[in-house]
Amino acid sequence: MSTLTIEGLRVEVAGKEVLKGFDLSMRSGEVHVIMGPNGSGKSTLAHALSGRPGYKVLDGSVKIDGEELLGLSPTERARHGLFLAMQHPMEVPGVRPIDLLIAAGADQHDLRQRMTLEAQRVELRTEVLDRFVNVDLSGGERKRAEMVQLAILRPKFAMLDEIDSGLDVDALGAVARRLSQATSEWDCGVLAITHFRRLLQELTPTTIHVMTDGRVVATGGPELADELERDGYEPFRPVNS
Amino acid sequence: MKIFADSALSFIAERPDATERSRAWSIFETLGLPTTSDEVWRYAPLGDLDLDKFSIAPAPSNEADSVFARELRDRAGLVVRVVDGYFEGSDSLPEGVRVETAARVTSLSGETMLSRYESDTFAILNDALAPSTTIIRVDNDVHVALPIVVLNTTSSAASFSRTQIILGRGASATVVEYFEGGHNALVVPVSEYELGDNASLQLVTYQRLDASAWHVARTTGFLHRDARLHQAVIGMGAHYNRSRNDAELLGTGSHNELRTTFMGSNSQVHDLRTHQFHKAARTQSTLLSKGAVAGESRCVYTGLIEIEKGAKRTDARQTNHNLLLSPHAHADSVPNLDIRENDVMCAHASSVGPLDELQLWYLESRGVTRRDAQRLIIQGFFYEMLTTLPSDLAELVERDVTSTLELLKVDQ
Repeated sequence: MSTLTIEGLRVEVAGKEVLKGFDLSMRSGEVHVIMGPNGSGKSTLAHALSGRPGYKVLDGSVKIDGEELLGLSPTERARHGLFLAMQHPMEVPGVRPIDLLIAAGADQHDLRQRMTLEAQRVELRTEVLDRFVNVDLSGGERKRAEMVQLAILRPKFAMLDEIDSGLDVDALGAVARRLSQATSEWDCGVLAITHFRRLLQELTPTTIHVMTDGRVVATGGPELADELERDGYEPFRPVNS
Repeated sequence: MKIFADSALSFIAERPDATERSRAWSIFETLGLPTTSDEVWRYAPLGDLDLDKFSIAPAPSNEADSVFARELRDRAGLVVRVVDGYFEGSDSLPEGVRVETAARVTSLSGETMLSRYESDTFAILNDALAPSTTIIRVDNDVHVALPIVVLNTTSSAASFSRTQIILGRGASATVVEYFEGGHNALVVPVSEYELGDNASLQLVTYQRLDASAWHVARTTGFLHRDARLHQAVIGMGAHYNRSRNDAELLGTGSHNELRTTFMGSNSQVHDLRTHQFHKAARTQSTLLSKGAVAGESRCVYTGLIEIEKGAKRTDARQTNHNLLLSPHAHADSVPNLDIRENDVMCAHASSVGPLDELQLWYLESRGVTRRDAQRLIIQGFFYEMLTTLPSDLAELVERDVTSTLELLKVDQ
């Protein structure tokens, strides 16, 4: 059993404070969903957590099992069990997925076979595994390919940055089912960032957090998503902003 | 200039063609070494070049082959050996292949060497001081199955090798011109290639000299109708690596593909020049140069595409990408076009920059270390350069290039 604890996280991007004291705590096997309007700081959270260049942490703490991650390099954060599935995974010409995974420390035993199997589980054409990382892949293929990496690397916590944006219903279903299985397969904690509700049809959340203006303003069960669906974000906005 | 000149003059005096060589030598003396105010040499650290550090090898030395040279030999169908510019012989010849040597040759352009290279001091020195010309001929319609390897070894001397490769009509071959050794040496090879109608030459120019060497090389291809010259130039060694690779597309439908790969470290300078001269219709040239510079190394790529009036439907492309692996490294790219025909397709593209921070972050966010992420991206950058190598050699060269890449220090 692992825990991910984020406390009082403040992050600045391009000179502007975007996260203004973000708190969240979750455990292995749970599915937490962060919902919020555009500009609320959802993606900033994901990028800051995995140490993207240009994201400056002003204050706060991010711990996995009590160990502070914020002073660590992106590599070390990943090796502590944090994985970010990106909204726009980068193309890396000339680098094959298998070489990436080996360099990332994946167990090499039957690696290629396991990759093939994982590709099939998310209905990703297995030819893609022989191409270069994300090069010439469609948006849907990239996200399925991120799931293959996730399944091989088996992180303690997987963050998904708007994994549902630009996905068709089939791809969304495949990705959500795979994540759902991950929570029981290796007790993966899933932290999904979205502003669409449709991801939740396949990926049953434990907890929903509503985020506006760089903070969590409400936390609750799946019923919170219904409320958002009905009323929108307006009732959650801070009164004086 | 004493040591160099004395050794050159005594070398020349002993040659049967001393008169012609003396003529070239006196032209060299008149011209002198170029200076950086001369446009084509403006990036060369010529101020550091002291010819008196070198003398002409009066006879070939006895240098042992490196492990790499031995592996190359193992993959060859024919090995032609040249030591300090002296032709040392070849093993048994495949059917339809002839290897000859001559003291004096005319350029494959038909001109004398002196008039062909009249403005190039180093090529003129080569005319005066190359012990012999190694001539490899492939007869009409002969397809040489295994690579021909021209193994150039250089000791600590001034060495001038000259090679001519002549493919008859419809012939095809793979040739590797390989250079190694050259500790504190000056290495000045001149090579020419003539491709008859519909001939096809896969050429690998592989420079793996000692890091102390001065290397000033020049190659020229002459392509007749529908001929195809695919040349891969790989520059790994030398303190100063000058590589000029020209092609004259003389025959309709001829095609030149040139891929230049280089890696710079410490204070190395890579000075790459190309001149693709389209003289006939429907000719095609595709140039791709990719390099990485680390430490305080520099590279410059200067390419000229020239298209003569009447060379209709010519297609000429020049692409140059450089990776800067240190804030003290420097890369320049200077494409030039001289087009005297309207009905042509011409394009050039170039880029210079460090490793992409977001690509690095992406790999790191999977748990790849910074060093491995850099290594993967650099290898990926060069990947396309290695995939087009002749299949017999691809794995060997890839291994060699990869191990050199791993030594490059990234300061980013």
